Amino acid sequence: MAKIEVKAEVAGVVWKVVTQPGAKVEEDDAILILESMKMEIPVTAPVDGTIVEVYFSESEKVSEGETVAILEI
Amino acid sequence: MAFEDKISEHERRSKKARAMGSPKRLKERADAGILNARERLEEFLDKDSFSELGLFAHSYSPADSEKSPADGVVTGYGKIDGRMIAVSASDFTTLGASSAITATKKYGHLSKSAQKNGIPIIHLGECSGARMPEIMGASGIGGIAAIGSYNRRRKVPYASAVLGQSYGGSTWNAVMSDFVVMRKGAVMAVSSNRVTTVATAEEVNDEELGGWMMQTGVTGQVDLAVNSDLEALSAIKRFLSYLPSHNGELPPVTDVPAGSGGEENILELLPEERSKTYDVRKIIKAFVDKDSYFPLKERFGKAVVTALTRLNGQTVGIVANNPKFKGGALDADSCDKICAFLALCDSFNVPLVLMADTPGFLIGVEGEKQKIPGKIMNFLQALELCTVPKLAIVMRKSFGQAYLNMGGGRVDEMAAWFTGEIGFVDPAIAVSVVHGLKYKDDPERYKQLTEEMARGSSAYDLAAPFLAQTVIDPRETRKWISDMLEVHRRRPDGGIGEHLMETWPLTL
Repeated sequence: MAKIEVKAEVAGVVWKVVTQPGAKVEEDDAILILESMKMEIPVTAPVDGTIVEVYFSESEKVSEGETVAILEI
Repeated sequence: MAFEDKISEHERRSKKARAMGSPKRLKERADAGILNARERLEEFLDKDSFSELGLFAHSYSPADSEKSPADGVVTGYGKIDGRMIAVSASDFTTLGASSAITATKKYGHLSKSAQKNGIPIIHLGECSGARMPEIMGASGIGGIAAIGSYNRRRKVPYASAVLGQSYGGSTWNAVMSDFVVMRKGAVMAVSSNRVTTVATAEEVNDEELGGWMMQTGVTGQVDLAVNSDLEALSAIKRFLSYLPSHNGELPPVTDVPAGSGGEENILELLPEERSKTYDVRKIIKAFVDKDSYFPLKERFGKAVVTALTRLNGQTVGIVANNPKFKGGALDADSCDKICAFLALCDSFNVPLVLMADTPGFLIGVEGEKQKIPGKIMNFLQALELCTVPKLAIVMRKSFGQAYLNMGGGRVDEMAAWFTGEIGFVDPAIAVSVVHGLKYKDDPERYKQLTEEMARGSSAYDLAAPFLAQTVIDPRETRKWISDMLEVHRRRPDGGIGEHLMETWPLTL
């Protein structure tokens, strides 16, 4: 089992965290949703896996390229 | 019997060449569930259609002549679904299917013959790299140099499967292809992990060097990753089914599956609130022929979808912003992905539909480092060069330079959905730029200023000066595209384009 970092592709403010450690996700499922460019933009799982950790909570700022979660695959 | 000795010798030689490498290596592969080169061809080609080239070829080096059947690559002509193709299948059990002088001649012959005769070329590749010591020294490396073996002008479709370790020759074949599929667990790179580590002292593992996640998600050099050899072969057949055998033909037209065009649900898939995102892939699937959606480079540059599809059985290439990723904002990877797709469609007479829902190009330091200005202009230049029929639909947002790149002013017909918003910049962003005001500072005034900024940005504002030819209900998408494609058949030229992108760079 390998662990991979899930990174934000755009900068924004966390609007909602929609998953939690232990949750199974499929590729392209939302992990959290950012408010960015006047839109609600999800940060998604790059591959199928299980969430190990989510580093951000609501209203926190996220930079482009920052790791927001760890996924075990 | 006449010629008894000759017949017997011929049979002995044929059998030996067809046996490939050592039985031990063949068994190891079979035990691992990996097909060997000849099994792959049997699965891939129509029954009894294979005509082999170079069965009796072997290594140029006398020391290896007895242990190099077919010089490690099975090549020839065959048919898939009744269509003639040229094909190579690497035999990894023979000297690791390494790149060698005779094998290179076989590839060159196949490539020239396929292009001269207008038949697609397919490589089922594995390669341990250069064969050493055969190609050491001047006569070795000189022996594999030949003018024309890598001369590709998109006259015929190229497709490749990466089905194991792929270094050197089979990697070159893959990156020259219009479509590359990779079996998960395979690795594609210039040189092997071992050579790379020795040469650069950099410790790397296969997955980092060229595994499926790297090649489909980071580089985009591989279009699709699958779980088995059979899935890879099936993906290549599917890719070819959308294309003609050469650029002087139109793509094949298929029957329209029952249930196609159930597009009523587009309005359920499209959020009414402009701040909400959605997955454009669901929208595309709702209006194209049933089960005809075939995305290319799906894991790369996800803010845009590039997919081969069919409408009324006719192949159509779709370029659509996907708001689910980066809000649909176009980045450098998206631009590269679009250029590759435009080159494919234009070279093989596939009409294009561009579907816009984008806040614009993704600006910022990272984008500038990735040369986004150049990428934007590459994209625009590619679109200008395309001579196939081009349609555009403004789904929701289409702002600034992205409006121009997504077809503004340079397509045969443009429609806007009644949800379309067109302008220089998203009005909500313009308020912050012009008035320095954020929503939380004064919600009422922000709303009022946003409404003022949005004036003149509707779909009807685009249609009034005839900048779009019509405004449609999203549920009319299938009909509008079908009608326009029937008009834009390029009848005087038989639907065959000018192919101005045939020499566009082969990779991203």
